[in-house]
Amino acid sequence: MSSEPRRLHPAAMLVGALRTVRQWVGALAAGGAAAIFGGGMRFTVFLIIAGILVVVFSAVWGFLSWRATRYWTSAGAFHLRQGVLQKNERTVPLDHVQSVDTVQGVVQRLFGVVEVRVETAGGTAGEPDASLSAVSREAAEALRREIEGYRPEPSEGAEKAAAGPEVIRRLGTRGLLVAGATSGQIGVALSLIAVASQFLDNFLSERVLARLYEFLAPTSVVALAALALVVGFFAWLLAIAGTVLAYTGFTLSRDGDFLYIKRGLLERREATIPLARIQAVQMVEGVLRQPFGLAMLKVESAGYGEDAGVSTTLFPLLPRREVRKFLKTATPEFAVEPELRPLPRRALRRYVFRSTAVFLLVGAGIGLFAFVNFGSFLGFFALLLAVPAAFYGWLRWRDAGWALAGDSLVVRTRTLARTTAVAPRRRLQSRGISLSPFQRRVRLATLHARVASGGGGATFQVVDLDRSAAGKLVEALGPGPARLDSG
Amino acid sequence: MKSEPSERLDPRARTLWRISAALGTAPFVGAGAGISAFLVRFTNLPLPIALLPALAALALVVLFVGVLPPLRWRWWRYEIREDEVDLQRGIIWVSRTLVPLSRIQHVDTRHGPLQRWFGLATVVFYTAAGANHIPELSAPIAAEVRDRIAALTGEQDEL
Repeated sequence: MSSEPRRLHPAAMLVGALRTVRQWVGALAAGGAAAIFGGGMRFTVFLIIAGILVVVFSAVWGFLSWRATRYWTSAGAFHLRQGVLQKNERTVPLDHVQSVDTVQGVVQRLFGVVEVRVETAGGTAGEPDASLSAVSREAAEALRREIEGYRPEPSEGAEKAAAGPEVIRRLGTRGLLVAGATSGQIGVALSLIAVASQFLDNFLSERVLARLYEFLAPTSVVALAALALVVGFFAWLLAIAGTVLAYTGFTLSRDGDFLYIKRGLLERREATIPLARIQAVQMVEGVLRQPFGLAMLKVESAGYGEDAGVSTTLFPLLPRREVRKFLKTATPEFAVEPELRPLPRRALRRYVFRSTAVFLLVGAGIGLFAFVNFGSFLGFFALLLAVPAAFYGWLRWRDAGWALAGDSLVVRTRTLARTTAVAPRRRLQSRGISLSPFQRRVRLATLHARVASGGGGATFQVVDLDRSAAGKLVEALGPGPARLDSG
Repeated sequence: MKSEPSERLDPRARTLWRISAALGTAPFVGAGAGISAFLVRFTNLPLPIALLPALAALALVVLFVGVLPPLRWRWWRYEIREDEVDLQRGIIWVSRTLVPLSRIQHVDTRHGPLQRWFGLATVVFYTAAGANHIPELSAPIAAEVRDRIAALTGEQDEL
């Protein structure tokens, strides 16, 4: 299929102009700050003139680059010609195209247009191989059809395509808020607040703060507790806001051999994932979600340069018991939920030791320090931290497990969140076991399996399987006809 | 899982690793000796303490040049089976990796300056999840391994 050379939507002029302005803003901002703090009137006037010049130049440049840009498809390739001074024509063979994504930034939303990103398998993550900054929705659809229509694979999918994509699941408002509240991104939000507070310090004078403290709490302990509570609550709200920004209107739909994901509040993102490229599916049960029977689903997909880099969210939140049904419609190959084999009892000691060792050492250190310096035994209470650590070790041991279900490897591990990964045998790029001297003594081994993901690979690993069981599993996961007696 | 892969690396690998470890640890030896010399000459520290940095650097050399290369060589084994490449490596933690030939995208041989001097080469084969290396094979064997992997990979492509 081929098409005439086409222009971008005129909104591309504005997008291009804004991009140019943004490049200059850095330089101007430094000067602007200097003008505000030190410079005189003359300097300010100079800056304003420079600003106007930049805007005019950017507008002209935006227009010129819009005029210079053409895209078309022909003879099995996608072509993009652009460049005002230095002409540049890029040709992407259609069967190398990995995905055609559309993204809608704020400017694009204003004009009801989309940005189209054409990505190929070899492309570096984060940077699309060819990007059309503004295209009308119809033109984007037409281009997608031209590119995907070329693909030889979806022959039977073609008939289904006529029916249009079928929505598998949508994230409602309630789900969105629950996802934010349980996202566990509070740590990230807290560090954001820490940075912001540095700025706040400059604006709030010390006297105001002191009065605020006096007013809020008569004693410092209460004040600290109140402060921690307020900051924690604020961080939690921030985490919810982040989730809302990213996942509003999260919709997963499927059209034959392709999955489509739409999401985002300000910036609408649309992504295409060919089913044939999915290497593994992971179910993540966060600490705050597991008690409510909730989970999030992720996919590892090969050579797919989305912003997440290695893995993409398949669905942000759904009840655990619906996961299997959901996967049956979305990614049938990965819809397995076998009985997992637990780790041997003798591995428990190693798990508990690994999680408590640090706390025991640090606790003993604090205890000794306190004893030597203050003659008090109170410091040894720090050793009590080892108790929850031991519980965590036990939890990790209990939750770890593996199975060979049909033709797929299923492994479950816990690092705070409990994660269950499913990878078909034919997707494993390599697998193996490793042994430490201690493991050798108690006949245990660590299993590892690699799948392709993003630009590189992702490793699934379970520590302390029975050694001979691990060896058999590795053999059974090998190529050739299925030769498994374990299940 | 089979007991162990059959092939070993070239015996000269040990010497090569020793040389490259010696080159790598040389700066530490220099620094250690320098600090010790400084301490002995300009401070009143007891001699054993002043010599500590130099001794630490020496221990590093013994470990990296004397002890580790033979251990590493002892564990390093590989085997190219009809449908997989089997690798075993490690010093204290020994790992075993199996890579199906059908997953291998392409194969290279590489030789650095030191390797060329010894007539050794590294075979590198790439899967979609990253590269795997078989280091320090004698150059003709490396070429043979490369060609064999390439040929077998082609055969398995239909899988």
